[in-house]
Amino acid sequence: MEQILKFENVSKSYPNGVHALKNVSFNVKEGEFISVIGPSGSGKSTILRSINRLIPISGGSVCLDGVSVSDQKGRKLRELRRKVGMIFQNYNLVYSLSVLQNVLHGCLGYMNGIRGVCGMYSEDDKKKALALLEELGMEQFAYNRASDLSGGQKQRVGIARAIMQEPKLLLCDEPIASLDPSSAKTIMDLLRDMTSKRNIACIVNLHQLDVAVKYSTRIIGLSKGEIVFDGVPSELTDEMIERIYGTSRENLMIGASANE
Amino acid sequence: MEQTIVQNTAKQTDNNAVSKKEKKIPVGCRQKNKFIPCFMAGTVLLTVISLMYLEIDWIKLASRVPEIGKVFAELAHFDFSNMDLIFSSMLETISIAVLSLLYSLILGVVFGMIAARNILRIKWLSVLTQSLFTFLRAVPTPVWVLLMLVCLGMGPEAGVAGLCVHTTAFFTKTFAQSFESIPDETLEALEATGTSRISIFVNAVLPAAFSQIAAWTGMRLETNFSECAVLGMVGAGGVGFVISRNLQSYEYGTAGLAIVLVFAVAYCIERLFVAIKKKIAQ
Repeated sequence: MEQILKFENVSKSYPNGVHALKNVSFNVKEGEFISVIGPSGSGKSTILRSINRLIPISGGSVCLDGVSVSDQKGRKLRELRRKVGMIFQNYNLVYSLSVLQNVLHGCLGYMNGIRGVCGMYSEDDKKKALALLEELGMEQFAYNRASDLSGGQKQRVGIARAIMQEPKLLLCDEPIASLDPSSAKTIMDLLRDMTSKRNIACIVNLHQLDVAVKYSTRIIGLSKGEIVFDGVPSELTDEMIERIYGTSRENLMIGASANE
Repeated sequence: MEQTIVQNTAKQTDNNAVSKKEKKIPVGCRQKNKFIPCFMAGTVLLTVISLMYLEIDWIKLASRVPEIGKVFAELAHFDFSNMDLIFSSMLETISIAVLSLLYSLILGVVFGMIAARNILRIKWLSVLTQSLFTFLRAVPTPVWVLLMLVCLGMGPEAGVAGLCVHTTAFFTKTFAQSFESIPDETLEALEATGTSRISIFVNAVLPAAFSQIAAWTGMRLETNFSECAVLGMVGAGGVGFVISRNLQSYEYGTAGLAIVLVFAVAYCIERLFVAIKKKIAQ
């Protein structure tokens, strides 16, 4: 399998003195579905954002598809970013625009000059966007305002926008943190199915341990900016969980503590 | 548990202490803003100084009060003989207001994009643009129009150009604020797709800020119209010129009619934009 992403001794310290990442190294291959788990402030979001250089790293190197990310600027960086789709907790759509327009934003990175600036999408792109919406069960909402959708529907539009980019890698920053359990399941199922069908590698930041175990092919556990676990879900023992979260598994289950 | 009990007893002793001394319970914040009384005192002082400096003759002022009634009564005797002149000058005023608004709108969007800190992310450029337009805004519109009159000669061109300076400066500031109110996450999402900054601006920021832009434009048309009526008096054409010339030659009837017309048009513009704003909000 082709290697897509390579983290080598990556470190990141913010101007306020916080060391978000310390010597983080890992590789991502085609078709992997990786969950990144860890308590708040352990550096999960920083890892995701350093991949497409939304956050510049302070040390080490990030290689995306064989190209070092930190050396890129301007047009070259934008071409690199096209290869990486991104999904957010708060969906981050443009709510005054239609669902279809939001999906089409995914191909703005491929449009140069005046066509890109004015948003003159080709008919092929429009067909592709509509097909994607149909695949996600959203075709009847294509011409609704994005603000009129429910949370789960907004996240599906977010997925469509990211897939529209034809990415090699999909980054999901807590995609289900703002959703109800049933929508969360739909979104996780869609993420898994759509990425495996297209052979897109997927990195998901998660707070839900059970979801991470159920869906991932591999789990990365972060604690205080360091990788303390990197392996398949079955290897994630209770001791390991304690090392990641600094507390026992029972304390992580809200339902369990209520039974006491 | 133990701690809460200790806290409770502490509270009770506190309460007892208050009731024993029968002190009035204060209700204000512990930290008072001492600046407010200073500010009030300063305002009073400045008012007194201004009154003394201007040496206003209150008796003379009082004796002229009935004159106000007389002038208004004469203004109310409308003289319809110059109707065509009033109408054409009114149309000229509206045209100046609309044209200057349109040009400033385009310029304001462009400069607003540069001035907003979250769009191009060139910090020195946005600071430079913002300070330049703050300066332009600080100079009152009539001064700009007078300057333009010197440069471009008498007539509506100077009015349009002069109004444009101030309106563009106003739009640059307000639009930049509107653009900056777009959540950073939305911009981040588009940045992650590899879209260029200008493209993000046109495809995401502009549509998201559109209703705000429309509201500011409506508000500014009102201001521009009334400013424009004033500007006529310094010689930039339009209905203001008619009003000032007729007042100076004691033709109160014509001036009164023109003033009422200015009021009517300004009122219509306001009602129109209240209605449009409602439609946009839907």
